Amino acid sequence: MGGAMKRLVPALLLLVAACHGAAPVRDPGELVIGTEGAYPPWNFTRPDGTLAGFEPEYLPILCARLHRHCRLVAMDWDGMIGALQTGKIDLIADAVQITPERAQVLAFGRPYALTTGVIATLRGSSLAALGDGGVRMDLDARGAVPDAMTARLRRGLAGKVIGVQLSGAFDSYLTGAIGPGVAIRYYRTMGERDLDLLNGRIDGTLEDESYIRPLLATRDGAALTMAGPRLIGGAIGRGEALAFRPGDTALRAAFDRAIDATLADGTVRRLGLKWFHMDASPPGARGGR
Amino acid sequence: MDDNLPIITLLGFGPQGWGLALLAGAGLTVAVALAAMVLGMVLGAALATVQGLRVPVLARAAAIYGVVLRGVPELLVVLLLYFGTPGLLAALAGLFGLPPPESPPAFLTGCVAIGLVSAAYQAEVFRGGLLAVPRGQIEAAMAAGMTPWTRFRRVIAPQVLHHVLPPLGNIWQFNLKDSALVSITGLAELMRVSLVAAGSTRRPFVFFVAAMALYLLLTTASSALLHRAETRSRRWAGGQ
Amino acid sequence: MNDEIAFLAATALAIARALPVTLLLALAGALGASLLAALLVAAHQTRALRPLARAWIFVFRGTPLLLQMAMVYYGLGALDAVRHGPLWPLLREPLVCAWLALACCCSAYIAEVLRAALAAVPRGQIEAALACGMNRRTRLIRVIVPQLVRLALPAYGNELVMLVKSTSLASTITVVDVTGVAQLVIAHSYRTIEVFCLAAAVYLALTAALTAALRLIERRLAQGALP
Repeated sequence: MGGAMKRLVPALLLLVAACHGAAPVRDPGELVIGTEGAYPPWNFTRPDGTLAGFEPEYLPILCARLHRHCRLVAMDWDGMIGALQTGKIDLIADAVQITPERAQVLAFGRPYALTTGVIATLRGSSLAALGDGGVRMDLDARGAVPDAMTARLRRGLAGKVIGVQLSGAFDSYLTGAIGPGVAIRYYRTMGERDLDLLNGRIDGTLEDESYIRPLLATRDGAALTMAGPRLIGGAIGRGEALAFRPGDTALRAAFDRAIDATLADGTVRRLGLKWFHMDASPPGARGGR
Repeated sequence: MDDNLPIITLLGFGPQGWGLALLAGAGLTVAVALAAMVLGMVLGAALATVQGLRVPVLARAAAIYGVVLRGVPELLVVLLLYFGTPGLLAALAGLFGLPPPESPPAFLTGCVAIGLVSAAYQAEVFRGGLLAVPRGQIEAAMAAGMTPWTRFRRVIAPQVLHHVLPPLGNIWQFNLKDSALVSITGLAELMRVSLVAAGSTRRPFVFFVAAMALYLLLTTASSALLHRAETRSRRWAGGQ
Repeated sequence: MNDEIAFLAATALAIARALPVTLLLALAGALGASLLAALLVAAHQTRALRPLARAWIFVFRGTPLLLQMAMVYYGLGALDAVRHGPLWPLLREPLVCAWLALACCCSAYIAEVLRAALAAVPRGQIEAALACGMNRRTRLIRVIVPQLVRLALPAYGNELVMLVKSTSLASTITVVDVTGVAQLVIAHSYRTIEVFCLAAAVYLALTAALTAALRLIERRLAQGALP
């Protein structure tokens, strides 16, 4: 029995050590950027394995302004914050929305985009006529007007079947704020949710407009329409930003300057129109020309 | 993203073709099944041996392991390992004063999950197999002065193999199909690739038929190979 | 500690509410699969339908159930003919799709079990029945079926246990069964071990009860059989 224990302890240590993994070989001065490659249209993986999307196109532009070489690596969201903290990657570019919880472990740069959550549904469905269409709804706002808006949304969604991606920001908003009146269906991937949205199994979905707008432009997506208020704040966050280690102030400041420049010269606007079919520049940066 | 591409393009090897990704997925499927099979063999043999020993506590524990892992859905085991391992490793690392390690790769948690279940079934097969060799032959081998290794190689193994190969072949087929469950961890094996392709191109029928065809290829090829192995083993076991 | 107990209680309640779904799927699945299997075996006996039966068994035993469920749920749902067809009100429901895939898949395995048992019925008994002048129907009921049941029961029982476990795959096509609830709670709370144990306990109870019932039936049948 003692013999087995003598072998068990080193084996466990080996297992723990193996998971720490060897540090990747990297050129000095090279920036390693973590992304998912599974969150279209911000970042996704083409069938042949290459990364494409808003961020894979935007980040090299930013790094060129910093005169640094950068490399994007794809990894699951679950492991990304850990990889940042242990130094495997230098920053995260994954359409990370600025929320108070995340701000406790991550240092956000200035937002390079601002997109809202929106309901998508089949044209002519009962949800298509949902009230407050196109009106911005701030989930952090307090008072009679926001409360009335939430109440109207709750009434409008009552008894409907809404599909969301499991563990996403919209999942927590629907489950928490809108509550039990809605029948929520959970999907592991956005693609599966899209299929059920198009075949009518779910009445609608709550998703980021940066995902919905390009979808509406496809042949299948032409049957869909956006409805109801545009959500921002709360669990949904206020804008997408790069995430750094809290101590990395110099790197963060350098990227902030580069982002300001690309907002001023219209790069963000151009890329937004290309990938999201909308200008996703944060307000205050728009109308600069 | 893409609209109304012909099937040949979707499944092909061009820039918008998923052919290579599907084949790579099939390769990963085999890799997961193989790794799980090996783990299951090692652990299953250990469990079978333990249940033959005269230590009631260990035998009991091995028996309970078998009952639990054969009575619980494999999907739950995969879920447990995928979501639970980071926390478990963090706790373990904490015991030794190390910082929490990063989550193990999905391949590892997937293989281990399928392997743990496979071990429970393989243990049963090995238990039956070990009983297949007549006691008299083992005693005769011992009387003839054979070393334990020669005894195993010449007397036990050929006969056990003959008994054990068909059910093990069955378990291999199950491993191959159960590997699809690892798709929920995000690992890009065949099921996951076909699901992602189906979702992003919105052509589920095409990709699921393609995936089914590839799985059928894998299971049929396995059947053929196992049949050959079974015929061979029957010869080795002697006119039984 | 109170927080932990509250969490466990809430999870247990959610699982209990989902248990009828699992049970319904298991029962309906077992019925559907067994009936289909009987049809398959019968088809296998005829010259005309044998290739069809062989193809069915080949496809459903050679591919994962997870893929079959995705095919029935998403694959069929994307076909215009299905969406505008008469069966859409049924095929729209995740539970129906899960049941369909489960029944078709398990029918292939059960059909093989039945075929093996059929081949194992002692030839002598069939010949004796023929010699006694029994017609086909009597021969079937008095001689073949009782033997078939006794021979097939262990393997059939195994397939039933696998069927009960396989109901958990319905959770991958949005069915909120025991596994579906477990996945939801884990994804929202990250407390894996407790949730897993609760869900696992439910399935263990089900399979243990099923196994015990099958052993009882086996013993009863053995009492009536010849030594």
